[in-house]
Amino acid sequence: MSEPQSSLLLRKQLAELNKNPVEGFSAGLIDDNDIYRWEVLIIGPPDTLYEGGFFKAHLYFPKEYPLRPPKMKFVTEIWHPNIDKSGDVCISILHEPGDDKYGYEKASERWLPVHTVETILISVISMLADPNDESPANVDAAKEWRENYQEFKRKVARCVRRSQEDCL
Amino acid sequence: MGNCLKGTSNEDISLLRENERSSEQQIEPIQPSSYRDRTPVFYPTPNDGRPANQLTEEEQVRIARRIGLMEHLPILAYDDSINKNKECVICMIEFKIGEEVRYLPCMHVYHVSCIDDWLMRSFTCPSCMEPVDAALLTSYDTN
Repeated sequence: MSEPQSSLLLRKQLAELNKNPVEGFSAGLIDDNDIYRWEVLIIGPPDTLYEGGFFKAHLYFPKEYPLRPPKMKFVTEIWHPNIDKSGDVCISILHEPGDDKYGYEKASERWLPVHTVETILISVISMLADPNDESPANVDAAKEWRENYQEFKRKVARCVRRSQEDCL
Repeated sequence: MGNCLKGTSNEDISLLRENERSSEQQIEPIQPSSYRDRTPVFYPTPNDGRPANQLTEEEQVRIARRIGLMEHLPILAYDDSINKNKECVICMIEFKIGEEVRYLPCMHVYHVSCIDDWLMRSFTCPSCMEPVDAALLTSYDTN
């Protein structure tokens, strides 16, 4: 059986990211024998509450990639309105077109087969800097972000500190 | 953004996930290598694939209409003197001169099999997000 297109495409991206790393994150595989499961380390973006943190996340690609999006899950504990308490990332570009039952999202904001690990992570890093509280995945974090920013900051700072300890 | 809010508690969700994963692992090894040759699967919505005999009449009509529209999208041989794009942005593989590529109304080009698989799920250009059906109709009007 020849190698599926998805696997070739992911291999190509991995090689490219190893050759020309992108600022803000590093990427590799969870298990060298499984190209569909990636582990990334996101560096908390400068000038945000997450600055100084090292956040590990996993990306799970379906065999139908790039027709279907991967799922992304933070392994490091992180407090953010768009990341649920089990670490699952909720951003529109990881949602399949037509998935939006309630019509909150424009088709253009959803998954497209031109997205790569790099474009996904750029979106996630920008989400860290700029949460979207219209449709939160972690309601408590969203509420705090709006109404009790001091407490929100304190929780994020604790995550940043813990992420540094985990990395040592 | 959005729509990730879950009604059930986190514990329920993680249990569900666990089941999903273990059932996937069981199914994968027995999947025949020639799965492309089996009954074709259609996508009334992008994440919902079903064989033709399990589609409603309305869904069949919608898919047939889409296939009909796709036939109006020209397939031409790739010519590097005309096309600026050197590679298909879906599979990231370079076009070979003379290879068949499909043109969308917005003039973006892709490998025929790459774009057709996507159009069957979502009728938009992956590069500029222009809805293909609306663009096709406009091009008819202007001609």
